[in-house]
Amino acid sequence: MTAPARALAAAPRRRRRQDRAGYLFLLPWFGGLLFMIVPFFASLYLAFTEYDLLTPPRWAGLDNFREMLGDALLHQSLKVTFIYTLVSVPLSLAVALGVAIVLDRGVRGLAVYRSVYYLPSLLGGSVAIVMLWRYLFGYDGIVNDALAWFGITGPAWTTDPDYALSTLILLHVWTFGAPMVIFLAGLRQIPAMYYEASAMDGASKWRQFRSITLPLLSPIIFFNLVQSLIASFQTFTQGYVLSNGSGGPADSTLFYNLYLYQKGFAEFDMGYASSMAWLLLMIIAGFTAINFLTARFWVFYDN
Amino acid sequence: MTLTETRTPPAAIDPAAAPPVRRRPRFIRYVLLSGGGIVMMYPLLWMISSSVKPSNSVFTDESLWPAVFDFGNYARGWTALSAPFEVYLANSLIIVTLSIVGNLLSCSLAAYAFARLRFAGRKLFFALMLGTMMLPGHVLVVPQYVMFDKLGWLNTYYPLLVPHFLATNGFYIFLMVQFMRSLPQELDDAARIDGCGPFRTFWKVIMPLCLPAFATTAIFTFISVWNEFFSPLLYLTDPELYTVPLAVRQFMDSEGQSMWGEMFAMSFVSLAPVIGFFIAGQKYLVKGIATTGLR
Amino acid sequence: MDDRHDGPRLDRRRLLGLAGLTGLAATLPACSRGFGGKGGDDGKIELNMVWWGDAQRAELTQKALDMFQAAHPGIRVRTEYQDSSPYKDKLAARFAAGDPPDLMAMRFDSLREYADRGTLLDLTPHPEMNQSGLTSSARALGTVGDKSFGVPSGLNTIGFIVDKGLTDKFGVAIPDGNTWSWDDFAAFAQQVTKASGGKVYGASIDAWTVANLLVFARQRGEDFFTADGRLGATAATVTAWYQLVADLRKAGGVPPAGFIDQNNGTSPAQSYLAKKSIASQIIPTNNLLGYNQACGGNLQLLRVPGETQGPRRGQSIDTPALWSIAASSRHPAEAVTLLNFLINDTEAAKVAGVTRGVPASRTVAETITSGLEPDNKRSSEFLAALQKEKLPESYPYPVGASKLTNILKTLTTEVEFGRMSPADAGKQFIAEAQKAIAP
Repeated sequence: MTAPARALAAAPRRRRRQDRAGYLFLLPWFGGLLFMIVPFFASLYLAFTEYDLLTPPRWAGLDNFREMLGDALLHQSLKVTFIYTLVSVPLSLAVALGVAIVLDRGVRGLAVYRSVYYLPSLLGGSVAIVMLWRYLFGYDGIVNDALAWFGITGPAWTTDPDYALSTLILLHVWTFGAPMVIFLAGLRQIPAMYYEASAMDGASKWRQFRSITLPLLSPIIFFNLVQSLIASFQTFTQGYVLSNGSGGPADSTLFYNLYLYQKGFAEFDMGYASSMAWLLLMIIAGFTAINFLTARFWVFYDN
Repeated sequence: MTLTETRTPPAAIDPAAAPPVRRRPRFIRYVLLSGGGIVMMYPLLWMISSSVKPSNSVFTDESLWPAVFDFGNYARGWTALSAPFEVYLANSLIIVTLSIVGNLLSCSLAAYAFARLRFAGRKLFFALMLGTMMLPGHVLVVPQYVMFDKLGWLNTYYPLLVPHFLATNGFYIFLMVQFMRSLPQELDDAARIDGCGPFRTFWKVIMPLCLPAFATTAIFTFISVWNEFFSPLLYLTDPELYTVPLAVRQFMDSEGQSMWGEMFAMSFVSLAPVIGFFIAGQKYLVKGIATTGLR
Repeated sequence: MDDRHDGPRLDRRRLLGLAGLTGLAATLPACSRGFGGKGGDDGKIELNMVWWGDAQRAELTQKALDMFQAAHPGIRVRTEYQDSSPYKDKLAARFAAGDPPDLMAMRFDSLREYADRGTLLDLTPHPEMNQSGLTSSARALGTVGDKSFGVPSGLNTIGFIVDKGLTDKFGVAIPDGNTWSWDDFAAFAQQVTKASGGKVYGASIDAWTVANLLVFARQRGEDFFTADGRLGATAATVTAWYQLVADLRKAGGVPPAGFIDQNNGTSPAQSYLAKKSIASQIIPTNNLLGYNQACGGNLQLLRVPGETQGPRRGQSIDTPALWSIAASSRHPAEAVTLLNFLINDTEAAKVAGVTRGVPASRTVAETITSGLEPDNKRSSEFLAALQKEKLPESYPYPVGASKLTNILKTLTTEVEFGRMSPADAGKQFIAEAQKAIAP
């Protein structure tokens, strides 16, 4: 065989070897996929049935999806979820990035600050913390007491339908610890020499942030964005615990996932809940796809 | 609170680091950071304070400094359930430890494949992986329960553990993928020239550079598994096997009487390992600096 | 953990090591707790019994169960209990997956969701389940058509509690609870608010609680839910209910909009009464002890207002929970034995006390009342007095009734904040409720 011919024959072989290595590394994941795919398809099937949990599902074709069109509560839950996502995701990511950058700049006692700022995320949706929120943001709670000092009459944060969702957004922003930790880990991977070099060139802090930090951190920003969007569309616990599962006051915190849960488990309509789940999957997939498509314009990988 | 206040050093402590002109902004930064810290600490303080109040005054005594102390909450809470509380702590520790091991192993393997290897179907599988994160869990509950029942896994830890060894959490894979992708391609090329196969490259070159990502994964896994409520609730029926969150919830009945003081006491006990692990684990977040020096 | 496969030669050793480690981690503790290492089979019949409640209730229940197991050495009872909301989710999931418990606490408002779908055991062909100690209205609580799907684990009703410590302090007299009208109540509530200088509100009416509206509807001669599972209330009644609260709010008898959090939970320690921001409210009577402890021990228990003015009585004998047996239980006979024991055994009832309400069997209730704590004794006697009177019966909620809680909550908020008139809210409630419980 001539040398070029050998190279030609070797290319597919190398590709096959690459394929094999890839699949080998993915082996556990393929196993896990089996675990996930069975319930996945089960729920897809249920989406086209009438299923009350207690008697066998009955095929219903597109009935569930047709019902969605006229379901006012479903539309309300979509509205709540979209507002929540569009406001709280950028807000909490900005706060997380800001604090991470401040903490990254050689702050003394970094470990302590990092732990303290992470605390709310640790406490998160625990029952105890929800009790605290109720009592902080109650009609005559501490927050309103503090506002009264400044002569401001605070609203009924958790019981007024005009304020409850904002209070939940505030609660969410307060737990910025998780994305903050990821940002910190990402910042740590940016080689210090880049900053040293640009400092020698006399670049300002802002300039460094724009031309070093942002591009080099962009894969991590991208991760946090995609991940927060997915998680935010699926928000459940926060809405559940604060409203005791009702989505109240007056459905103002009726998250999509909370309504889905009510349908499935409180109203014994798992068929409808399943079709809601697949609609949500498509919505999230759409947003994630947009993220990935726009990523090529602002996310920089080193390779 | 004292923790943050004592950590507000006047710039003078560190005279060599900064020229005098920079003291003021740095001081302001510490003041702001510490002020924020107090806001973040408040819930923990409230929880500690509630844990030493009598059950009936948890919600009526609004002061952080209890009017009446009841340290008995801890002793009673520890023994009030069908098993002593250390059993639940041990159960949770077993599950958490194995879950971390499983997540680190399986997710890093998958992440390496997605981030650094070229193989047929990569994009499709990656999309599928992301897709698995998008379906609300509530509709999977019943099919999963049936599946684990068929496998004979009910009332064991397998439904809680095996998925972690099989990289079923796309979040961690995606996280590691992003970290691995930001490493320069020359690393792999150099390793290949040195005769390293994919596994050796993964183990010797990529893994050490991803320590911050692994630390993040370990910390997040610890927290999420430690706090996980619904899955253990579903799959465990023997109270001896309960995890900490299930145990803590047994102190309350949201429609009737609850043992609030005991609940807060044990909530605080169950929080301690999480805080401890976070403080221990974040060291490795910092280690990333040293490793990037390699580049 | 089958990670072992042929890989590129260079990597095989590493990979094997890794796979071994993975496998080891999963199998090492395989013989210990939680990894399928079950105890030996001792030939006993095992019953799985589940309920909701806190650890205190669990302790009392376990004592009764220990007595049962001593008397029936061939049966072992494996119990599990949770907070009420996760409890009902797990119960639904277990039924859906075909793995229900044998004996379970069943929510009164969910009974028909389960019973109408054939998942619960009909107790009528099981004479071993002795219900002769129950009054007909107590039996009716678990009856659908001519079948019996549950036995009340305890009885209760609703009552009005007033903090006498507060009313004494402000010099307001408490009206006669057996005869007071809704007008008397409104006057009383306003008096308290006024006398306290607005620091304490006279009352809170939980307008969003179906059980409260149900009593109000009965007083107006309507069955909120009819015996055949339909909605019997009219828009006029719901409107009147909202109007009553709205008027009282305007007059200052109840707190302003937003003050009371509907989703605060019903735990006595968390209540506004315990915080001393209101002076009276409606509670389920079995919680009297808890409220009295949380409020300082000076609570009076009154009947609901309006009982003697309307065309008929509103109060009824109710239950916080029923005991039901799964239709697919593998040991129905033993489960019935256990259920019968829980209902009729006096000694067991003595140790279990009244955490689930007054024992359904009157003979049992009469035997244990004398030994109760004063507050529990008081609520038990309150209920016993009612049981002697002629009251309308309470029927199991129809399928779909669970949606009504949220509908009522939402509309209550709309009226509370003045975003909707009581008349519109009343109409809308009936429209939505009819849609929710239509067959």
